[in-house]
Amino acid sequence: MDVHIPYTQFTLPNGLNVIVHRDDALPVASVNVWYHVGSKNEKPGRTGFAHLFEHIMFEGSANVPEGDFDNLLESNGGVNNGSTSNDRTNYWENIPANALEMALWLEADRMGFLLETMTQEKLDIQRDVVKNERRQGVDNQPYGLAFETVYENLYPADHPYHWPVIGSMDDLSAATLDDVKDFFRTYYAPNNASLAIAGDVSETQVRRLVEKYFGDIPSGPPMPEITVPDATLDGDRNVVLEDAVQLPRLYVAWHAPKGYTDDDAVMDVLSAVLTDGKSSRLFKRLVYDEQVAQDVSAFQNGQELGGAFWIIATAKPEVSLDRLSTAIREELDRLVAEGVTAEERERAVNGVETSFVRSLERVGGFGGKADRLNEYHFMTGTPGWVRHDLARFQRVTSDAVAQGARTWLVGKPAVWLSVVPRGRTDLAASDGQGEVSR
Amino acid sequence: MNRGAMLMVASWTAVSLAGCSVGMNYESSDPASGDEGSVTMGAQAGGGGRRSAQALDRSQVPAVGEPRSLDLPEIQDYTLESGMRVILVERDALPLVSLELQFRGGATAHPAAQAGLAALTADMVDEGSESRSALDIADAVDLLGASLSSTAGYDASQLRLSVLRARFPEALGILADVVIHPSFPEEDLQRVVRERVARVVQRSDVPAALADDAFARVLYGDDHPYGVSLLGSRESLESLTRDDVVAYHQARYKPGQATLIVVGDVTREDLDALLGDAFAGWTGSGVDAPAPAVVASNATRTIYLVDKPGAAQSEVRVGRVAVARDTDAYYPLSVMNTVLGGSFTSRLNSKLREEKGYTYGAGSFFDMRRVPGPFEASAAVATPVTDSAVVDFVAEIERLSREAVPATELERAKNYMALRLPQRFESLDDVVRRVSELVLYDVSLDFYGGYVDGVQGVDEADVRRVADTLLPVGAMAIVIAGDRAVIEEPLKALGLGPVVVLEPGRPISQE
Repeated sequence: MDVHIPYTQFTLPNGLNVIVHRDDALPVASVNVWYHVGSKNEKPGRTGFAHLFEHIMFEGSANVPEGDFDNLLESNGGVNNGSTSNDRTNYWENIPANALEMALWLEADRMGFLLETMTQEKLDIQRDVVKNERRQGVDNQPYGLAFETVYENLYPADHPYHWPVIGSMDDLSAATLDDVKDFFRTYYAPNNASLAIAGDVSETQVRRLVEKYFGDIPSGPPMPEITVPDATLDGDRNVVLEDAVQLPRLYVAWHAPKGYTDDDAVMDVLSAVLTDGKSSRLFKRLVYDEQVAQDVSAFQNGQELGGAFWIIATAKPEVSLDRLSTAIREELDRLVAEGVTAEERERAVNGVETSFVRSLERVGGFGGKADRLNEYHFMTGTPGWVRHDLARFQRVTSDAVAQGARTWLVGKPAVWLSVVPRGRTDLAASDGQGEVSR
Repeated sequence: MNRGAMLMVASWTAVSLAGCSVGMNYESSDPASGDEGSVTMGAQAGGGGRRSAQALDRSQVPAVGEPRSLDLPEIQDYTLESGMRVILVERDALPLVSLELQFRGGATAHPAAQAGLAALTADMVDEGSESRSALDIADAVDLLGASLSSTAGYDASQLRLSVLRARFPEALGILADVVIHPSFPEEDLQRVVRERVARVVQRSDVPAALADDAFARVLYGDDHPYGVSLLGSRESLESLTRDDVVAYHQARYKPGQATLIVVGDVTREDLDALLGDAFAGWTGSGVDAPAPAVVASNATRTIYLVDKPGAAQSEVRVGRVAVARDTDAYYPLSVMNTVLGGSFTSRLNSKLREEKGYTYGAGSFFDMRRVPGPFEASAAVATPVTDSAVVDFVAEIERLSREAVPATELERAKNYMALRLPQRFESLDDVVRRVSELVLYDVSLDFYGGYVDGVQGVDEADVRRVADTLLPVGAMAIVIAGDRAVIEEPLKALGLGPVVVLEPGRPISQE
């Protein structure tokens, strides 16, 4: 099994990296731009700013009146979106192929000329929108505070992954128009961006249009270096959070390999052995046999500056999270002692192979081919890395999976967060030793 | 055997999108007169001006040429001797196959008192067959790298499979086994029921789910299948027995109730041979589910509150019972909904998000089912602005029947729908879904061949007519899950209608 996204690549004199992939199965195209800036680049007191800035990018630029970015795209059958992570910010337009030039013009205008029409009002409205995004995704959701609570315990206060991408309400309130201008001038320049175009397009046409619209956008200064302090935990951190929930839930997170490494793939396979499918180690024990958990899932989150391995399990009503934490430790010990079978490894890798082939179905959107080309370019330096990406999973052996659990998890310090119904800290893991947060 | 008689081949021809006028109210520049030859490269960083002396004129929106035509997938549509309808779309761009096996009659095929039975049965089919345990089935599917899932909606039960071409034959065999020979082990049933009861508990922690369930209940009542949760309640789930599941399966999971939709890298000849093996000996017409009762739309406007103490946002739902999928107003109401809440630039999102900042997003849709389903406008809004947001919802719905939609706005909505069509056929699962939606409600498979003309044929008067008929703003249910202590008095002060507080498990009583 092999996967492949053929492409051509060139760089403009201003530093803009351009990747072109032709796929004429449908008369559609996608324009996809990555900026190598995320919440990891934020200043103290301005958490959430990279994402707030992403919102402002849709509010018009020198030649695109407010509202017209969306009006023009929709008028021509286009859809668009953007997203911000710890590491990067991305934007895309999925369009009928005949609207390619217009989409490139729109992206170029906001890359080059965003500030000409920037106003306090645009900032204020999007600040309110983002606060509502936080309410909807975090504050008004059961267990909504869990992820940021784990991260603030997993990473020290001066580490770029300590704070959440969505930011805090106070920091969102503090953001100013000067912050917007500084951020744009620092990070939104062609030399910190990559533009991928996929779909029913020709390389000649793309090169002509990209040079026309992006060629005279000036380079920015070199990007500021960020400091990444050591993130090693001294020991387990047990944290308890009371929430408006009825079922207790345990979140466990260990430091784990960075993304795009061989060990990152090993830990991904390990997560499948633990919780994908009814026979997986933790699902079978906790959900199927003992029925003390409502659900359990594990995943490896390999990012640019580091990785984390997560296990999340929801207890049945009235079941103490101690029962789940004990079972998790026992199953990890057993996996290291007894090893992983060839069939367990094969089930996991076969699922990965299918998902890689399915990832080639769409040219645009989040995770579409244009987005993948930009991701691989930024994170590995090779836009066509998809085949190497799959190959690192195919190389994973059963022994490597057990070795991964031994190296990264068993006996290694982790954050153990218990989210329990209000007033029920007796259901928390950690024998009541944990600090009660919030 | 089982080669099936070909009843019809609906060959979808190329759909021209060129009838859509584009460019809107912008002047288009002549693409041939640009400055391609004089682009300034590598201007120096840090200078004051970002534009160079030779910069091209960016003030004109680039011309958008004629849209290229879309070749809609060719559909093969035939019925096997067993009575199972088969719809095949061959696509060989990638070595993949996706399919859906659809059985008519979902939650509407059992009494509302058995709420959750259709979904429980769907959940149970892969929990054991005559020859495989639940673990055997899961292991076999995982070893093939396949994904197999099963769900039930209001009007159908659906199994979905996605797998690499090379492993399709084996995966199809497993799918057929769980559909034809499920054993419904009592022990596994008890485990799954307990899981689903716990999901009911979890659902009551989620503000959006509280609003959705209350909205359905207010519109359709506790005795109608559209009024109760597909998941069921603790009481209904705990009352269901293995006999209920077996009976539901016996009546519904039969070839006479089934349509198999296959999209991907498989030929007709190969598929027919595989189906002959996998589904050999499967017979039965099953029992046709009667259509559920048609429920009258509410005649007055009432605000219903579900208390969620301390909620940071209010989950707002505004709507009424509207239309079935067979409505002859399909195109006018779809265009109207795109204007109101069906896209990012729609009126509700523009007003509540982009103008006021009350929400992360607002929208609306018509859920068209076998009998009239709900129209629903919705948003999660910050608690302190709940009353102001409700005023905006009501005003935007009312404006549709009071004022003509401006030509530019109407054209944008129509072009958004028509020109986006190719993007809705991109993945195998996209094509499966498009076909599935048509099969579910007996819509002709030629539907998308007429889609662009249908959308473009809608005019301003059509929109106003369906708004008048379907969205009388004085007859809407407004359901809000939020912090009652903060929002109740301001909502009463609006004078939009009585405010009724809903208690879970208690009858709905008007004040």
